[in-house]
Amino acid sequence: MATIDLKDISMVYGLNGTSHTALDTVSVHISDGDFIALIGPSGCGKSTIIDIVSGLKKPTGGEVLIDNVPVTGPGTDRGTVFQDYSLFPWMTVFENIRFALEHTEGAALKGTIDTDAQKYIDLVGLGKFRDAYPNTLSGGMRQRVSIARMFSMDPKVFLMDEPFGALDSLNRIYMQDLLLHLWAQGEKQKTVLFVTHDVDEALLLSDRIAVMSPSPGKIKEIIDIPFARPRCRKTLAASAEYIELKSHLLSILYCEMLDDIERQEQKLTGSETAA
Amino acid sequence: MTLKLSAEGYGVIALFIATLLLAVAMPDAPNQVSPSGTILFAGVLVFLLAAFLASLYFHPKESQAVSDIFLLIAILAPLWEIAFGKLSLLDPLLFPGPARVFAVFGNDYELMLQGLVSSLALLGAGYALALATAIPIGLYLGWRKRLFNVAYPLAKAISPIPPTAYLPYTIVLLPSFASASIFLIFISAFWPILIGAVYGVFSIDYRLINSAKTLGISEKDMIKKVLFPGALPSIFSGAMIAFILSFITLTVAEMLAATSGLGWYIQYNHDFANYDKVVAGIILVAVVVIVLMYFFDRIQSYCLRWQTP
Repeated sequence: MATIDLKDISMVYGLNGTSHTALDTVSVHISDGDFIALIGPSGCGKSTIIDIVSGLKKPTGGEVLIDNVPVTGPGTDRGTVFQDYSLFPWMTVFENIRFALEHTEGAALKGTIDTDAQKYIDLVGLGKFRDAYPNTLSGGMRQRVSIARMFSMDPKVFLMDEPFGALDSLNRIYMQDLLLHLWAQGEKQKTVLFVTHDVDEALLLSDRIAVMSPSPGKIKEIIDIPFARPRCRKTLAASAEYIELKSHLLSILYCEMLDDIERQEQKLTGSETAA
Repeated sequence: MTLKLSAEGYGVIALFIATLLLAVAMPDAPNQVSPSGTILFAGVLVFLLAAFLASLYFHPKESQAVSDIFLLIAILAPLWEIAFGKLSLLDPLLFPGPARVFAVFGNDYELMLQGLVSSLALLGAGYALALATAIPIGLYLGWRKRLFNVAYPLAKAISPIPPTAYLPYTIVLLPSFASASIFLIFISAFWPILIGAVYGVFSIDYRLINSAKTLGISEKDMIKKVLFPGALPSIFSGAMIAFILSFITLTVAEMLAATSGLGWYIQYNHDFANYDKVVAGIILVAVVVIVLMYFFDRIQSYCLRWQTP
């Protein structure tokens, strides 16, 4: 029962008189229970979109609606996982999750904060590390805690900003499967906005992929991913449809990158001739 | 667990035992004789030796540092004993030997204990007051950049004024010496803690603060549960400097205007040219500082146990 609507979102940063357009009238509708991946080269404003939807930044134009209610600031109706900065280093695994739960209405009202926190720690297989501090855990374990925290808060929507970007490939596979497993397990599937720069990750996880292009950041194309769930990594990668979609995605991204390089080269030669 | 001794370790033990024998067996210079002092000095040497072995046993990882520190003491103690106690090489009044200095602890312990209690009470009150005010103010200044921009130039102008410069006014304006020195200690401790708290907040990764914001927490919780623990490493380094400064202020204030206390004890005996008591007072101050620092370190490492080891 949660939809996300981005309506003509623009983000312009003013820098010493010159302005830089980070996002240019971005509009997306994400329907309830949809898993949508935002993919694009760095600097295309993917993370800015997450910051705007989570309420950390106010767009200079347009608005974000969650269940048709405009976003005015951060709130616990949205659960956010960042690349590696979601957990507080001075709290143990248990305390981190409990701290988040204390600030969400559901568990605090029911008085089940401690049992809920324990449940989600066990769910991601970190029961033994309940009282460990984040600095003593590996990057993969820390992200498991962040994900446990997000699920425990039971928000309407999940916002994930390259959550597995800092992990090695084996850990990443494990985390993707864990995320899909947990996501599919709930009574009703959450709406997810997932930022990544990994084409395979986007194809495996999402229902739709929004491809972005940089300067100014805008959505170039939205592609439906038709694969049935639950998806199997192995059979998926071997299917002709997957290969076709992947090469299509890569060509959009790649062409964007080539354009970008060309533009930079022009700029360089331009400035040389000017000098 | 067995006790493993390095070459330095054996050296420390040998030097302590040699000093002990020297102190007891060799007669003191005529003007340095004090039987009770000799017994106390011997007792201190035995205590130091026991402390050395105990710290080697309980902290085997730091055996190098422990051995080096005790080696320094074990070299200085016999030098002091021989040069001033046994041979009285320099002016015996200005440079008393260990026996006469340690005799003071036996004779004056009541006065010293009294002074210690009154000093610690003043220090504790002023320092606690500084912690209780500087930390919340500093956290808030760090959090509200606009307030900081107003407060910073003011603080920069006021903070370098040595607290003892206020002494004449505080003594006139405040009702008692105790309240005046608590105020001075408070002032000395306030700035370093404040600066520690402000820069502690600045040093917190903004991504962590963003992560806290996405949890929808109140400003009160942001300051208490996020900014305070995040700034704590920096607050501790400020609090350490604050502690040293406030201890200096305390002793100086006592030297100038008190009727009891550690600083007063040194100044009072200086006025009567009792240099053995002055040296004893200095030793007492040093021991008090070492003990307080030890507890400070323990508290710090407990509170910051979450940091990367």
